[in-house]
Amino acid sequence: MSKQAQLQRQELRRAQQAAAAQRARRRRILTWAGALVIVGLIAAITVAVVQAAGRERTLPDVTGEVVPPQHLTPGGAIPVGAAAAPVTVEIYFDYMCPACGAFESANAGELDRLLADGVVRIELRPIAFLDEQSSGTEYSTRSANAVAVVADAAPDLVWDFHTALYGHQPTEGSDGLSDEQIAAIAADAGVPADVVDRFTDGTYRPWVASVTRDAFDSGVQGTPTVKIDGVVFEGNVYAVGPLTKAIESAAAGQ
Amino acid sequence: MTSTLDLALTEPESSRLHRLRHNNVTVWVTMLIASAASLVASFVLAIDALTLAEDPNAELGCNINAVISCGTVATSWQSSLLGFPNAFLGLVTEPVVITLAVAALGGVRFPRWFMLSAQVVYTVGLLFAYWLFEQAMFDIGALCPWCLLITLATTLVFFEMSYVNIRDDNLYLPRRAQAALTTFVRSNFDIMLVIAWLLVLVLAVVLKYGETLFA
Repeated sequence: MSKQAQLQRQELRRAQQAAAAQRARRRRILTWAGALVIVGLIAAITVAVVQAAGRERTLPDVTGEVVPPQHLTPGGAIPVGAAAAPVTVEIYFDYMCPACGAFESANAGELDRLLADGVVRIELRPIAFLDEQSSGTEYSTRSANAVAVVADAAPDLVWDFHTALYGHQPTEGSDGLSDEQIAAIAADAGVPADVVDRFTDGTYRPWVASVTRDAFDSGVQGTPTVKIDGVVFEGNVYAVGPLTKAIESAAAGQ
Repeated sequence: MTSTLDLALTEPESSRLHRLRHNNVTVWVTMLIASAASLVASFVLAIDALTLAEDPNAELGCNINAVISCGTVATSWQSSLLGFPNAFLGLVTEPVVITLAVAALGGVRFPRWFMLSAQVVYTVGLLFAYWLFEQAMFDIGALCPWCLLITLATTLVFFEMSYVNIRDDNLYLPRRAQAALTTFVRSNFDIMLVIAWLLVLVLAVVLKYGETLFA
């Protein structure tokens, strides 16, 4: 074998080895990068879970004098329907809460019917714990305040206004409805203009903040919380039927 | 000149985990378990669909809260896209995958065109499963545990089926693409991709619904 051929073969082998080593290096780097991404994702999931689990509710501060609206029940709720109705249904809700919207769209029709039949009296407990979900506009508090104004000055229209607000519910995390939009919805529900004009006074903001704190102090875990004659209803509140059945059997039991 | 380290890096095939992962039995058994899980989930969802057809107000066992709610998902239009419950599709198609996996474990080798067809059909199934996942997450706003199981199982079956078809050169790909995919799979980048992908899905669910689920 000529010396030149031998040299050539050696060189070829060295080049092949170099190429293989480079491939191996690239593979190793990519493997490490992949492993890093996976570890990063696991860390992100852990952080997200811990954060979600430990998230403190930011309840609004009570600033100013607490003035409750008129016509409340002795327990401090906004009553709807005949006082003599056999069953009382108490609903804790926040106008920003999507689950409350789901509750409303499932049950509003049935509740309308039960109210009309005099089977049920509803006690509305608007609370505002999702203010941070409306990009700083405090939609939860503004809407609850507006409902309190209507409860005070036009109590017969509270239910219509309440359902209309959920009919136009903004998505969580958006700006919420503007004051003008809330006013327009109230006007559509038949609330007189002089009452609507009081919304922006914010008279009941301290009251909303205080009932929000009271609600969580009393053991309400989230919204919607529905109580039938004082007992928390544990059934499915997002489907038409279960709540109606529970109300009707409560009525039949009396 | 070749040291052991070089060998381990250029030939990761030598590690035990690698061999287990690339073992033919592992591949088909994984596919078998995943498709059986899909079948069970489809079965439960099909029965739920019948229960809801009989009584739209029926309480389902997996209505847990606002987010975990089969009832909400099952009564959406998306859950009967073709005019009948989607779960029926799973009842029809998953047994085919189960048969395929069992036959392969028994030593049957299917023709290339057969495996290519299986890949194409299953890819359509995968896209459908992910469309449903996306709709449940962002449109319906509720998740159902059985549907999530199907999303997971469908991903695993698709992953293993792609693995087999790349390994056995069943996809009629240009040579360069085939070679690149083979290297990709032999380097275990495919399994890393799947793991990362599933973790992304978990992260998305936690970010969107974590507060309702854990708080």
